[in-house]
Amino acid sequence: MPKTTPKTTPKIPIDPARTIAVTALGVISPYGIGSSALEAGLLAGQSCLSPAAQVFPDFSGCVARVEALPAVAHPQRSSRSDRLAMAAAENACAGLDPELLRQSGVVMATTVAGLTELSPEVAVDPAAWFSRAGLACGAAYPISRVAAAVGEHLGVDGPVCAVSAACASGAVSLALAANMLLDGEVPLAIAGGSDALSEFTASGFHSLQSLDPAPCRPFDTNRQGLNLGEGAAVLILETLAHARARGAAVLALLRGWAMTNDAHHTTAPQPDGDGLAAAMRLAMEMAGVGVDEIGFVNAHGTGTPLNDAAETRCYEQVFRGRSTPIPVSSTKSYTGHCLGAAGALEAAIAILALRRGVLLPTLRLEDPIESGSVEYLRGPLRHQPIAAAISASAGFGGSNAALVFGKAETECSGDGRFDA
Amino acid sequence: MSAPLLSITGIGSVTPFGPAAGLLSNLTIAPEAIMSWPNAEARRAFQVKPFNPAKLVPGAKTRRLDRLSCWALVAASLAFQDASLDLDAIDRGRVAVVFASGLGCTELTEEFFRSAARNGWNGTDPITFPETLANVPACHIALFHGLRGPNLTVSGENFAAEIALLRAASLLRHGQADRALVVAGDALSPAVFQWYESAGLLAPACFTANPPVPAEGFIPGEGMVALLLERTPAGQGRIYAQLAGGRHARRGDPAQAVREIFSSQPALIYSAGHGSPCMAHSLAGAMLPSAARPFAGEDLPVVAALAVAEGLGASGGLFHLLLALSRHAVSAPTLLLGVAAGGGFAALRLEAS
Repeated sequence: MPKTTPKTTPKIPIDPARTIAVTALGVISPYGIGSSALEAGLLAGQSCLSPAAQVFPDFSGCVARVEALPAVAHPQRSSRSDRLAMAAAENACAGLDPELLRQSGVVMATTVAGLTELSPEVAVDPAAWFSRAGLACGAAYPISRVAAAVGEHLGVDGPVCAVSAACASGAVSLALAANMLLDGEVPLAIAGGSDALSEFTASGFHSLQSLDPAPCRPFDTNRQGLNLGEGAAVLILETLAHARARGAAVLALLRGWAMTNDAHHTTAPQPDGDGLAAAMRLAMEMAGVGVDEIGFVNAHGTGTPLNDAAETRCYEQVFRGRSTPIPVSSTKSYTGHCLGAAGALEAAIAILALRRGVLLPTLRLEDPIESGSVEYLRGPLRHQPIAAAISASAGFGGSNAALVFGKAETECSGDGRFDA
Repeated sequence: MSAPLLSITGIGSVTPFGPAAGLLSNLTIAPEAIMSWPNAEARRAFQVKPFNPAKLVPGAKTRRLDRLSCWALVAASLAFQDASLDLDAIDRGRVAVVFASGLGCTELTEEFFRSAARNGWNGTDPITFPETLANVPACHIALFHGLRGPNLTVSGENFAAEIALLRAASLLRHGQADRALVVAGDALSPAVFQWYESAGLLAPACFTANPPVPAEGFIPGEGMVALLLERTPAGQGRIYAQLAGGRHARRGDPAQAVREIFSSQPALIYSAGHGSPCMAHSLAGAMLPSAARPFAGEDLPVVAALAVAEGLGASGGLFHLLLALSRHAVSAPTLLLGVAAGGGFAALRLEAS
């Protein structure tokens, strides 16, 4: 793996057949449906966090919940994660040629999947529980269901793949989808992540003492943990050549992607952030960008003491040679931690920042972790042109993924609208 | 999927045949009564019998792991042993782990639910929670062997294992890893078995040692298979077969996919109606003639899958592959074909080394 990344890199012409374009974004978040709602909320600095007790009576602290979940034809067969995924996918695919959609592939990430539909009694007396609750609740449990629900909902005939890499899942799904496109397996990939709030995961993070009882403060020296959120984000990916041929608007280019593992601990990150740093270097190398060309990092930034410390060390080693400190933000301070959806949602936010030329501050960040190489963004929104942005993700099990997005202006053949 | 060919250089498994490195020899097995669950009574399945992981993988600490994680770690370690791969001689940052499961870590997920039933959601066990995650078996493989390459867990309605193999091949082809450990499997649990039973999917053989013949239905199974896939084999050991191509789709014409990955007829076809537990053999039989005879005028030899691998459902693809290799050495282009009830399929092209 590369140990250092150059400040700048020689410009080489891109090959449209080997370059991945993002041509639509579909989002359902606590801000509502659509990337416009997400954009408006973020630019307004609006936090989605509210008292958890409104959703889960057993828990204190905060969560970010999607209030308006669209109706589906067969709600009894669909988990909440399925419904979020279908809403985001439908939002992303609006206006797509049905024949192209049929030929497409689906790569969807989740960690919670249908756990939302089960209760503890299923493990105590399964026969009685299935008799009472119905078999559909059990059928929604496998992680494959979220991707399958999207495939069925959209009428996709191509490969349908589910991904689970803990909290890096959403970013991993985009990386795998990009590989599928370069392999020529599909003309277009519908890729992202979806996860719903559930008592199971809330209980799990509560047991690990990872939840902040107050709204989270990523990268603050007084941070106390994370807040859970829910949502789904779906990106439409295709080669730039394919996008041009069908006259699609190009929102951004996915120029580099990489995945690594810490091989350190089941739940704790490698303290020096080596694994995530390796993923970022590999992704930047693939993208052909140097440290001075990255204008913004949308960090994993959970707000837990261990994650944010490791992530800071990661950025210090990756961006050590940069001319100015790297601007870094955690948008989990807006949306909460959406687990399997986080990597895809934060990729969408990185694209937003790139296109609008905005550096989003971390909310509630008062006393940032000190670092000579990192500028933890806080205070008011800052307008600044960004040439390339990284979305960084990490998760339990030591999973890391990094995505490098580049601007699409010069490639854009459509109206360049942000909303899909 | 096209060149380069990817070599299968190591195999490890934990199945109802027991833990094993390499190919399996005796492939005769019958479902056995489930003795380890309360109230299981005379229910039967293809089960993995208890064994001591530390005897096979020195240093492995598996007491607190889900059975799925334990088997994944053992199967992966046996695949490395089988390949005679010296991990100290290679860059472990270039080794990927691609894990597939249909149902994930059901044993500890159910235990976590039981702790919530006992103590309330505020009283669950912090040790158990991370071990319920679907990707944690892949994590334990990486942790134990220090593998820092891409580490991902995939699934799919019918073809989780084949998806893992295709995604691993893609990582190797794009230079994102030099080697990939592809691991797939599932474990039975009381709630999973009960779901199958409540849904009326189970074969009479699940309830009696002497079922009426012929019998429709599904006999649940469990197990784990790991394959080491290499771009350029490091050792001088055997190469079981080479993966030369593959396709997977949710719906479509398998014959067309087969024609895309084979330029002429394969010498042998291993067929499986696997993937969905509700998939009866008769349904596979209805779909196979066109799928397995992609080239007009050819009458190709078809080898049917064994029920012990069908029992794994979506994650059974690697077990099917192991059984196919154990039954016949790959000496010519060979098709491994799975078809599913909803019209999905997975087709893999194997070639001789």
